[in-house]
Amino acid sequence: MTKKRPNQEALVNAAVLRWMHDLSPQGILMTDAELRILGWNQWLEDHTGKSASEVAGQNLLSAFPELVERGLHRYYEWALEGQVRILSQRLHGRLLEMYVPGKENTQVQMQQSVRISPLYQQDRVIGTITIIEDVTERVKREAELQAEIEARSLLLASEKSARQEAEKANRLKDDFLATISHELRSPLTAMLGWASILLTRELDRETTTKAIETIHRNAQAQHQLISDLLDVSRIISGKLRLNVQLIELPPIIEAAMDSVRPAAAAKNIKLESSIGAEANKIYGDADRLQQVIWNLLTNAIKFTPKEGSVRVQAEKMGSGDLELTVVDTGSGISKEFLPYVFDRFRQGDAGTTKLHGGLGLGLSIVRQLIELHGGTVRVESEGEGKGATFIVSLPVAPVIANKDDFESAEVSRDEGTSELRTILEGSRVLIVDDEQDTRELVKAILEHTGFEVITSSSAAEALVALEKFRPHALVCDVGMPGEDGYTLISRVRVLPPERGGQTPAVALTSYVRGVDRQRALNSGFQAHLAKPVDSGELISVLTHLMKNTGIENRFSAP
Amino acid sequence: MILTEAQNDSLAEFINIAFGRTGAALSELTGHRVMLNPPAVSVHPTGDLNGALAKFVPGDVTSIHQVFVGPIAGDALLLLNHDGAVHLADLLTDGSTPSKYLDESAREVLTEVGNILLNACLGMFGNMLDIHVSFSVPRLHIESLDELIESLITEKNSLHYALVIYTAFQIRDSAVNGYLVMVLSVASLDRLIMEVEAWEERQGQ
Repeated sequence: MTKKRPNQEALVNAAVLRWMHDLSPQGILMTDAELRILGWNQWLEDHTGKSASEVAGQNLLSAFPELVERGLHRYYEWALEGQVRILSQRLHGRLLEMYVPGKENTQVQMQQSVRISPLYQQDRVIGTITIIEDVTERVKREAELQAEIEARSLLLASEKSARQEAEKANRLKDDFLATISHELRSPLTAMLGWASILLTRELDRETTTKAIETIHRNAQAQHQLISDLLDVSRIISGKLRLNVQLIELPPIIEAAMDSVRPAAAAKNIKLESSIGAEANKIYGDADRLQQVIWNLLTNAIKFTPKEGSVRVQAEKMGSGDLELTVVDTGSGISKEFLPYVFDRFRQGDAGTTKLHGGLGLGLSIVRQLIELHGGTVRVESEGEGKGATFIVSLPVAPVIANKDDFESAEVSRDEGTSELRTILEGSRVLIVDDEQDTRELVKAILEHTGFEVITSSSAAEALVALEKFRPHALVCDVGMPGEDGYTLISRVRVLPPERGGQTPAVALTSYVRGVDRQRALNSGFQAHLAKPVDSGELISVLTHLMKNTGIENRFSAP
Repeated sequence: MILTEAQNDSLAEFINIAFGRTGAALSELTGHRVMLNPPAVSVHPTGDLNGALAKFVPGDVTSIHQVFVGPIAGDALLLLNHDGAVHLADLLTDGSTPSKYLDESAREVLTEVGNILLNACLGMFGNMLDIHVSFSVPRLHIESLDELIESLITEKNSLHYALVIYTAFQIRDSAVNGYLVMVLSVASLDRLIMEVEAWEERQGQ
């Protein structure tokens, strides 16, 4: 070996040391066997703010007492015994306190992975070397990845559960179809059987009567089934129409009770009713409400054993709503089944289906019809064997008995009655809505209050009606197909005042966000009400609008 | 080389004591209360290792491996199966939701724990037997059992034995099973047995 070689090696070694000091992307800390700091590279200077000259020669544990507080001095003791030690970020967080930039100009603690190793000369440990790596980014990325994985698996779980629900619904439908098949066929079998006998044989009077009664009864049952099916089908496709009028409740309850009396009598079930004095008039579809009560009564009687009782109650509540209750002493409903009572195709269990027959549609139809009226229906039961209570809640418009009878009229909010008369006499309101039910309902409410009402089913019709009838106010549905409410009002507002351009207008909409309200007001409406429309509020708003714009201040008389 | 029953018993007892102290060291250093179950000890020729361990690690085995040199020399490994590795890393982390795989931080934690365990255990040997060994840098590998054993047998001609210690980490009401394996040459195993017997005699005095 020439003299040059050791020098070459020494030169390279020295260069490596310089590189480690100046350019290493990690912290490198070297000590002697007494833990005095011999090496403190540029990276450490940059990240700790301490220069090499500040720390050189100092005992590591004296310069950084927190190492002792945290028990990390023992790692150095082991290193001096010849053991390599790892300080994982997860267990220790860091060796030395250092900071890195965080979000938005903040500083965050640097997360560190550390390795402490002995330095050997032959068999002797002459010092230690500590390598510190900044793993802050890695830890952050790992957390993000973990969060993403969790989110994905939650999503997967919820999709799976949604799919299971859908599959369950499908199975219910399949079961339902099988049941319909059976239910529709059974009466037919009886009817055909007996009809056939009547045709081919000579029967005595008693048997003939029995045959005809059976045929009649089964025909009625089938008629009911088909009727229910058609109702459900219409409801599903949105084609069910309500015929809304101001109706009297007591006769409807009586009629429903009459039709179930035979069934109740057959099981010796006591049938009673109790109707509150105020629970008299209501806005609704008489036939459909009777259907609702009939369904609830039939259901109650079906599930009540012999000698039980079923009671119908009607009360006007403090809130203004009318509550119709059907209470029975029957088999009750278990807590598990309570949330599903009004679902289509559901019955208590497959067993009772066989026991009680029917398609399980009645209660679902009840709910749909009540909801179309703007009301709600719920059920309460203490459990199996403890009977059930079905409660229907219907909104009622403020009742004004007669246009001529303002003195005794119940008017909502703060309108004086004589003022109301002045305002209302001869005032015309134009209703614009593509949905017939809504038009008719609003018309009924307003006519009964004393307004004269004209209706249009589209924006185009409305503009014609505006010029022809010169209404004092507009009530306009926003969500119409083709030209919507916003388009209509903007076309109205460009008209000169004498042609109705300034007519006050109320927007009726199913959209209830603040932005929708703002949009309505910005487009040219004076007021904005949410559907389903609260009749009291609508009347109040209209009367205010008319009063404020001054009824005399109208466009030229027609 | 087959151990006599007496030798097996001495070895088992010795390791049992070493383990008791190792558990304490683990608790202190990880900041979590860790208990090591009483170890089950067996000795196998390395050729039989696959048979001994295959049931425990049907899939990939996670190992933390250190080479040690001194009067006894060989390879020391902590072996965990995949689920055990993930679970142990979770138990040592203060997170709440269980992980499904080992990210870099998890691997690092396992390396540290393996490092502590192996150093403590072999260090205990050193203290009790007055044999001092030194260790290489610990490394974590994830591979099949076959690949692992393959990597351990350096000189195919010489016979090596594996001292297999089966235990479980008990942390926070959960237990993770693992194996501590020390692969030793015949000479090293001989020396170890000799020192253990001497230790036993000292205990008796």
